[in-house]
Amino acid sequence: MKFYVCIKQVPDVDAPIQIKDGKLIQDTDRMVLNAYDASAVEEALVLKEEHGGEVEVVLVGPDKAKETIRKALAMGADKATHIATSGDEDYDSATYANILATFFSDKEYDVISCGKQSQDTDAGLAGSMLGEHLDLPYATNAVGLEAEEGTLVVKRQGDAGQEIIGLPTPCLVTCSNDMNEPRIPSLKGIMQSKRKPVEDVALSDLDIDESSLQPKTKVTGHMEKPEREPGQKFEGEPEELAQKVATLLDEEENVI
Amino acid sequence: MSTLLTHIAISDGKIKRSSLEVLSHMRQLAEANRHTAEAVIIDAEASNYVDEVKKYGPSTIYTVEDPIFENHMNTPLLKALTKVMDEAEPYIFGFGSTESTKDILGALAANQDAAVLSDVSEFELTDEGIEAKRPVMAAKILSDNVAEGDRILVSVRSGSYDLDEGDADADVVDIDFSIDDSEIQATLREIIGASGDKIDLAEAETIVAAGRGAKDEEGQDLINELASVLNAGIGASRALTEAGIMDPSLQIGQTGKVVSPQLYIAVGISGAIQHVAGMTNSKVIVAINKDPDAPIFDIADYGIVGDLYKVLPPFIEELKKIKG
Ligand SMILES: Cc1cc2nc3c(=O)[nH]c(=O)nc-3n(C[C@H](O)[C@H](O)[C@H](O)COP(=O)(O)OP(=O)(O)OC[C@H]3O[C@@H](n4cnc5c(N)ncnc54)[C@H](O)[C@@H]3O)c2cc1C
Ligand SMILES: Nc1ncnc2c1ncn2[C@@H]1O[C@H](COP(=O)(O)O)[C@@H](O)[C@H]1O
Repeated sequence: MKFYVCIKQVPDVDAPIQIKDGKLIQDTDRMVLNAYDASAVEEALVLKEEHGGEVEVVLVGPDKAKETIRKALAMGADKATHIATSGDEDYDSATYANILATFFSDKEYDVISCGKQSQDTDAGLAGSMLGEHLDLPYATNAVGLEAEEGTLVVKRQGDAGQEIIGLPTPCLVTCSNDMNEPRIPSLKGIMQSKRKPVEDVALSDLDIDESSLQPKTKVTGHMEKPEREPGQKFEGEPEELAQKVATLLDEEENVI
Repeated sequence: MSTLLTHIAISDGKIKRSSLEVLSHMRQLAEANRHTAEAVIIDAEASNYVDEVKKYGPSTIYTVEDPIFENHMNTPLLKALTKVMDEAEPYIFGFGSTESTKDILGALAANQDAAVLSDVSEFELTDEGIEAKRPVMAAKILSDNVAEGDRILVSVRSGSYDLDEGDADADVVDIDFSIDDSEIQATLREIIGASGDKIDLAEAETIVAAGRGAKDEEGQDLINELASVLNAGIGASRALTEAGIMDPSLQIGQTGKVVSPQLYIAVGISGAIQHVAGMTNSKVIVAINKDPDAPIFDIADYGIVGDLYKVLPPFIEELKKIKG
């Protein structure tokens, strides 16, 4: 099976951040492989190990994103395509989906995997946008994948239950991190990743006119979320604490 | 005058409250800006829900009724939504942010060449479109966003707006729908674990959430008992859903559900940012944790430092007394 996994480099949400003039400034500039995409890579590798095939990762992003491509190759992906951008664009999910759709228009594959959302923005849009552009059957929020002849079987976490969906290939799926624990690259994997092919593609190679990439949505500012103040903390005898808090919830808060 | 259309989601035979919250806000926006608020119900028995939706004051209610909508499947839903957009020509199309909405929102936007903002916590109209706030960076930060164009899709987090009833005089327009089996390439083989009587966490007034600290059977029993005394929904951290101890649909947080109950009791949960992202909009947060430095205490209104196995039994007794 030929897998393409769309991977994105995102700021580490665990790193300290500040807001200056409405812009997000990360003290360490720590960028990581989107956690949901790491799960998509992992699952593609597992299916390749079971059924054979090839795993190629595709990333749209600036030069700095090469390190994220290396990470996926070190995990075990066979090769990569890097669609380069300048780095000062403010693309939204739709713009990335448009670029990826153009890239995939002349490619052959069984499965395109995406993450279910970007860890920094939680938008959760690019995957199904890409599916629609390419007119592929798709499923989102996958928590498990299995391959059958000509069919990808997706376990999807729906509103209440889990839906088991058979998608005829070629198809597209967006992956939840509840699917697996992505492997940590081994030293050998890291060494090998340096020799794996990374194809550089410019937007102009895809016949994309950058001025046509005007996003319809824009982020105009950021602000700290009004933080919750820590309330009262009680230590002591369990019985007393239990009684005190239960009474407060009833009499002060009226939520019992 | 433009149309502000709201999608009314139905699940387990009930209207999702989050869609009525969106409809309430859309109707207020329509009134303030001389637009019209309309609603659409897509369901196997869509007409059953018309009377309830009328209460929230849309001027037109579209129904799309077909047995195919018994279970969620993205292809038929997308086809219905595009038909509805052709018919109603909405300027703004609003959705409650359910898992089913997340499944189709991007595809619908791509199909309609519409601007889209997902999972916003508030939005207003501007001259060019909408401006909206969205939590980002695991909900530590709020971003300001604008979406511009003549077709804008927006999905709204549950609990963002209060329900508000309005003038109940709506026209009902049934939209003809059919779909051929050959159009649906995906097959829905089975649905596991959906049970009708579970409390919907997105709508629950009270939630008892269990973390790794409560992972054994005794812990689970205590959680169940506490939830039953309070008539609460049960939620979980990823530690428990990942371990297969709790049903995956109960996960609360960045990957899981976003909730906003009146009372959230976190038991044996450390308070990682990805968990907190899903519950910080709760009105009152109670945390029970034996580690006095657990980050959950930074956001809890009432923190009980102690062993949950010792704290919960007297806590449950006390609540029983209060409930009397
Ligand atoms: C991209 C991404 C998305 C994620 N999405 C989610 C999500 O949606 N939801 C989610 O929950 N997590 C999510 N996580 C995982 C998250 O980072 C944490 O790993 C997880 O929330 C930890 O669960 P926990 O608090 O139950 O476990 P732990 O962090 O192990 O905490 C257990 C706590 O229980 C306490 N405890 C232990 N025994 C007792 C006792 N006897 N009495 C009282 N207290 C006790 C301990 O002091 C500790 O604080 C995500 C992570 C990533 C990377
Ligand atoms: N720049 C990009 N390069 C490659 N894949 C991307 C890019 N942006 C988004 N994606 C894919 O779309 C998913 C996220 O969509 P969204 O949450 O809409 O940003 C990611 O998990 C990736 O699989």
